[in-house]
Amino acid sequence: MSMSKMTGVLAGVVLMCGLSLSSARAAEIKGKVAVQGLRSPENIVVYVDAIPGKTFPAPAQPALIDQRKMTFVPHVLPVLKGTTVEFLNSDAVGHNVYWPSVGGNKKLTHNLGTWPQGQKKSFQFNDLGAASLLCNVHPEMSGYVVVVPTPYFATTDKEGSFVIKDVPPGHYTVKTWSEDGKPTTQDVDVAASGAALNLTVKK
Amino acid sequence: MMRRAIDAGLVVALAGVAVFLWFTACAVPRASAIPAFARKYQTSCTTCHNDYPELNDFGEAFKKNGFKFPKDDESFVKEPPVLLGAKAQREVFPKSVFPGEIPGMIPISFRYSGFASYNNRQPLAIGFQPRSDLFMPNTFTVIGAGSFGPNLSFWVDNDISSGGANAAAGLGDGYLKVNDISRPLHLPKDTMNVRFGQFELDLPFTQARSIDPTGYDIYSEASFAGVQGTTSNALQFGIPQRGIEIGGYPNDGNFEWSLAVVNGSNNNAAMRNSKDIYVRVSQRFNLERDPEVRKEVQAAGPTGPRDHTSIRFGAFYYYGENELNQDGSLFAGIGTLKEPFYRAGGDVRFKYRQFEVYGLGMFGHDNNLIPNTDTGMVSRGVPVNFSGGFAQAQYWIYPWMIAIMRYDFVNSPTDMLNSVSTLATRNRFSPGAQFLIRANIKAVFEFQRNWEIPIPGSVLPFRHYGFVAGVDYLF
Repeated sequence: MSMSKMTGVLAGVVLMCGLSLSSARAAEIKGKVAVQGLRSPENIVVYVDAIPGKTFPAPAQPALIDQRKMTFVPHVLPVLKGTTVEFLNSDAVGHNVYWPSVGGNKKLTHNLGTWPQGQKKSFQFNDLGAASLLCNVHPEMSGYVVVVPTPYFATTDKEGSFVIKDVPPGHYTVKTWSEDGKPTTQDVDVAASGAALNLTVKK
Repeated sequence: MMRRAIDAGLVVALAGVAVFLWFTACAVPRASAIPAFARKYQTSCTTCHNDYPELNDFGEAFKKNGFKFPKDDESFVKEPPVLLGAKAQREVFPKSVFPGEIPGMIPISFRYSGFASYNNRQPLAIGFQPRSDLFMPNTFTVIGAGSFGPNLSFWVDNDISSGGANAAAGLGDGYLKVNDISRPLHLPKDTMNVRFGQFELDLPFTQARSIDPTGYDIYSEASFAGVQGTTSNALQFGIPQRGIEIGGYPNDGNFEWSLAVVNGSNNNAAMRNSKDIYVRVSQRFNLERDPEVRKEVQAAGPTGPRDHTSIRFGAFYYYGENELNQDGSLFAGIGTLKEPFYRAGGDVRFKYRQFEVYGLGMFGHDNNLIPNTDTGMVSRGVPVNFSGGFAQAQYWIYPWMIAIMRYDFVNSPTDMLNSVSTLATRNRFSPGAQFLIRANIKAVFEFQRNWEIPIPGSVLPFRHYGFVAGVDYLF
C-alpha cells in the first residue's frame, strides 16, 4: 500500500470515529406532546430540568421577541437562565412590555416601559419560571418568556412534535410548561442514539 | 301704550310645549364604543377608550383619521376589506366607477344600557310618582361604523328601544365623512374634512359619547317665552342635527375647527327655510416636557401609555333665526315672525395622568317679539336669556375604577316665570363612580343632589335626591 493510500485510509477512519463520537455527544430527544382539555398542543415548552452539579453559561447572543401586528412573536420563547432578551417594537403604534411575575413570584414583576416603532429594550432573565408578557397599551397582547435551567429545551409545533437537540447521553428529568396546562414531569434515558419521549399535558 | 295681543290659548300651548320638551330632554340619543373595531383589529376596547365611550388620545386619533389607525392602518387589520373595484381602476376613471371598499364583515355592534333609579318622595301635587324604577330607561342600540376606503368613513347608531319594551327611539348619528378634502391644495393632512347627514355638533364635550348616565343640563335647555312673549325655540344642544359640517385638525389635532350648516330642528324635519350656523374652534397646549413624547399619539410613561398632559381651550357660537306664524295661523295679518337667536360659550379641558377636569359655560339669547294683531305691528319683548354650564372631574383610581364629580348649573328666569322651574337657578351636584367589570362591561353609579328641579305644579322648592345605578355593555 502506498503512503498516500495509507494516509487516505487513516483519514477515513479518523473521520468515521469523529462522526460516531460526535453523534454520541449530541443526541436528540424527539417526541410528541398530546393534550387533554387544551385547544392545541402548540407552544408547549419541553425542557430538561436542572442537572445536579452542572451549570450552563448564558448565551452571549441575546434572544429576541418582536411586537408585530400587535402580537408578541414568538408567542412563547424558552431561554436558558441568564439569557438577555431583547424586545423590539416593529409596529407603528407604541407598545409596552411588562410582566406581573416570574414563575409566580410577584416580587419579580417588572415594567420595561413603553417605546415607539423601531426601538428595543432588553432584560436579562436570571430567575427560573415563566414570565407572562403583557402590554398595557393593548391588553389583548400576550406572550411568555420561559426561563429554564438547562440549554436543552424545545417548543412544540402545531402537531405537538418537538426535538431537543445536543443532549449528552444520560438520565434526565424532562418537564413541560404550557400556557394553560399543568406541568408534566417524566424521566428519560438518553442513549447515544437519542431518545423518544411522548408526553401528555392536561389542563 | 301698545296693546299686547297674544292669544291666551297660544301661551298655554307654548308653555305646554316647553314643559313637554323639558321632560323629554333626557331622551338624548346615545352612541358608544365600537366592538366592530375591536373585532376588525383584534384589539381590546381599551386601545381607544379609557372608560368607554370616552376616547383616549389614541381613540381620538383613530376617529379623526376616519376610523383608521393613525399610521400603517392596513398592517393592523386582521379582517381585510372587500374591494369594490381594484385600486388600479382609478386610472380608468371616469370610464369606470371609482374603486372603493367595504368592511370584510358587517361592522355592527350592539349596546345595552339599563339604569335603576331611586328618588326621594315627590309632592302629590304632581300625582303619584313611584320612588324607584328598575331598568328604566332601558336602551338597546345598534351601531355600525367603519371606513369605505382611504378617506371615506361612516357612522350610524340607532336606539332600537328606549324607555321601555319596544318603545321607539330613533337615529342618533348617521353620517358620511370625507377626510382630507384639502389635500389637492397641499395643506397639512386633515386640515379640512366634511361630514354629511345627522350628527352631534362638534360640541366641546360630547353628550352622545359621555360616560355619564344622565345628560348635561345645559345641553337640554330650550328657550320658550311662555307668557312673556312668542319665543318658542326647541333647539337643544345635546341632540343631533341634520346638516353639513366642514372642519379640520391640522397640527396633530392641537388646533381644531369646525363650521356646520344645519336645519336647526335637531333630529326632526326642517321647520323653516333658514339654516343655522355653528362654529367651534379650540386649541390644545401639549404640556409634555419631552418633545419626542409630544409627537407621539399617546404619551409613554415609565409604566405605560397615558393621555398627554395637556390643556385645551375652546369657544363656540351658534346662530339661527327662528320663525313663527309662517302661514299666518297664529297671528293673522302679522306675517312671519323672525326671531334671531344665538348660543355662545367657552370651554376648557385639562388632563394630567389619571386625572382630568373639564367644563363649559354657555349663554343663550333669543329675541322675543310681541305682535299686535289689532295694529299689525310687532314690537320687541324682553329677550329670553339663559346661562349655565357644568364642571366635571374624573380620576382613574385604577384603570377599571373611575371616580367622578360633576356640577351642573342652569340660570333661566324665564323657566321660573313659566313654572318650568320653581327657581331661576337650577343646580345639580352629581358624584359618581364607574367600574369596568370587563373592557366592554361596566357598572355605573351616580348620586344626584338637586337644589331645584323642574316640576310643574309644585308650589315650594324642595330638596331632591336621586340615585341612578345601572349596567352598560357592548358586544
